[in-house]
Amino acid sequence: MNDKKLIRVSGLKKHYKDGAIKALNGVDMEVSKGEVIVIIGPSGCGKSTFLRSLNLLEVPTEGQIYLSDVDITDRKVNINIHRQKVGMVFQHFNLFPNMTILKNMTLAPVQLKKATKEAAEKKALEMLRVVGLEDRAEAYPNQLSGGQKQRVAIVRALCMEPEVMLFDEPTSALDPEMVGEVLDVMKKLAAEGMTMLVVTHEMGFAREVADRVIFMDEGVIMEQGTPEEIFNNPQNERTKAFLNKVL
Amino acid sequence: MPEWIVKLQKDFVTAFIEDNRWKYLVEGIQNTIILTFFALILGVVLGVIIAAVRTTYDKQYEEIKNPVGKIFLAIGNWICKVYLTVIRGTPAMVQILIIFFVIMASSDNKMLCGIIAFGINSGAYVAEIIRGGIMSIDGGQTEAGRSLGLNYVQTMWFIVLPQTFKNILPALANEFIVLLKETAIAGYVGVTDLTRGANIIRGITYQSLFPLLAIAAIYLVMVMFFTWLVELLERRLRKSER
Ligand SMILES: Nc1ncnc2c1ncn2[C@@H]1O[C@H](COP(=O)(O)OP(=O)(O)OP(=O)(O)O)[C@@H](O)[C@H]1O
Ligand SMILES: [Mg+2]
Repeated sequence: MNDKKLIRVSGLKKHYKDGAIKALNGVDMEVSKGEVIVIIGPSGCGKSTFLRSLNLLEVPTEGQIYLSDVDITDRKVNINIHRQKVGMVFQHFNLFPNMTILKNMTLAPVQLKKATKEAAEKKALEMLRVVGLEDRAEAYPNQLSGGQKQRVAIVRALCMEPEVMLFDEPTSALDPEMVGEVLDVMKKLAAEGMTMLVVTHEMGFAREVADRVIFMDEGVIMEQGTPEEIFNNPQNERTKAFLNKVL
Repeated sequence: MPEWIVKLQKDFVTAFIEDNRWKYLVEGIQNTIILTFFALILGVVLGVIIAAVRTTYDKQYEEIKNPVGKIFLAIGNWICKVYLTVIRGTPAMVQILIIFFVIMASSDNKMLCGIIAFGINSGAYVAEIIRGGIMSIDGGQTEAGRSLGLNYVQTMWFIVLPQTFKNILPALANEFIVLLKETAIAGYVGVTDLTRGANIIRGITYQSLFPLLAIAAIYLVMVMFFTWLVELLERRLRKSER
């Protein structure tokens, strides 16, 4: 890990209903290249909103988000370019049901001229091999199990060669026996040095893989630190209360 | 042979065979199909444009940066809304009379007038079918497309619209069938469609039973044929996901 900041967020606010709902209420943070950050917190505290702001799926009400020193909240910025560098994995996979697995993975790289069709397919097949799904390349998403779908969703995002990967509760929609296979892929990715922000309830994953754990509540970062600090010695009362409930 | 059978036979001959009167029905079938087909094409073209304007306005208005583009989109959206309200709020018969006797009064191409009238009418319904279809696609699909860096148009074209098309196919087919039957009123403004064909025979022969039964049967067969075609297409589309 070096000290280059990949993401800088300052004063980030997201309000709904003219400020009646303050999903994010002033978030400041920085992410270094190669860092793995796990975000935890009670339901409705703004974890998804925060993650989705980072590629402007939610447009912030206030504040700045710098991706490699470009402020993506600036209206003049072409967000499509920046989204190519930010992979996202969703709770409900969001694979495209009308395309084969291979097409799911090559659509964006080919359309966005990141690779020729042949190169993109070759790469996609390699990726599928890594996650043990090379024989499902011609299958449609409906034919896969939840765990398989999520592994495809991860490598689909990786096909764009992103600089950072966002995961919003990637295992929450899975049957328990499939959680492990998805977490394994994520661990491998972390070990390869990918910068990752992960919202999850898998505290074991957080302990094992995270460089930093962030506890959010009421739209702000309440506390952050190493997994050691957060799980074994939390300072904030809210953090303690939350961990008591989930651990 | 009982007398009533003999009479029916004679009526049948009068209605269809004498002077080759069946040709009125054949011409009617042709014209009804031409009218329906081109009206539907016009309707789909209008419907796609309107649905595009309306959904782009709903989904994309906030994201557009060019102020001039924003104004155009807002005006376009407003026009589409007025069109939808007027067309869906007035009887098709009235719209057709207005097109024939007011807007296109100077044209004597009745078929063209009919295509335009029914196309404009159908466009409103098609537009709402398409828009409903687009809205029924899970928002996660758009988000996944956009998060990969695809722009709005690419996401719509490759991801949302193909799924929409499959979902709305039954409703579109239904609209086609509704339109096919609705063209029966085109005879009122002089298009020699199928119903008009039967009416011409009735006028000449003073007989109603056979001409009217015949066109009812013909409409029914056409509708059943198209229903079957659509089922075939649907099954093929569904297979691509199994
Ligand atoms: N589109 C929206 N309109 C109004 N309120 C919203 C919208 N999206 C989110 N919110 C609200 O913003 C707050 C934060 O939501 P968010 O989804 O970020 O929470 P979360 O921490 O991800 O929760 P969970 O663990 O349940 O996923 C919640 O109170 C939610 O109801
Ligand atoms: Mg959430």
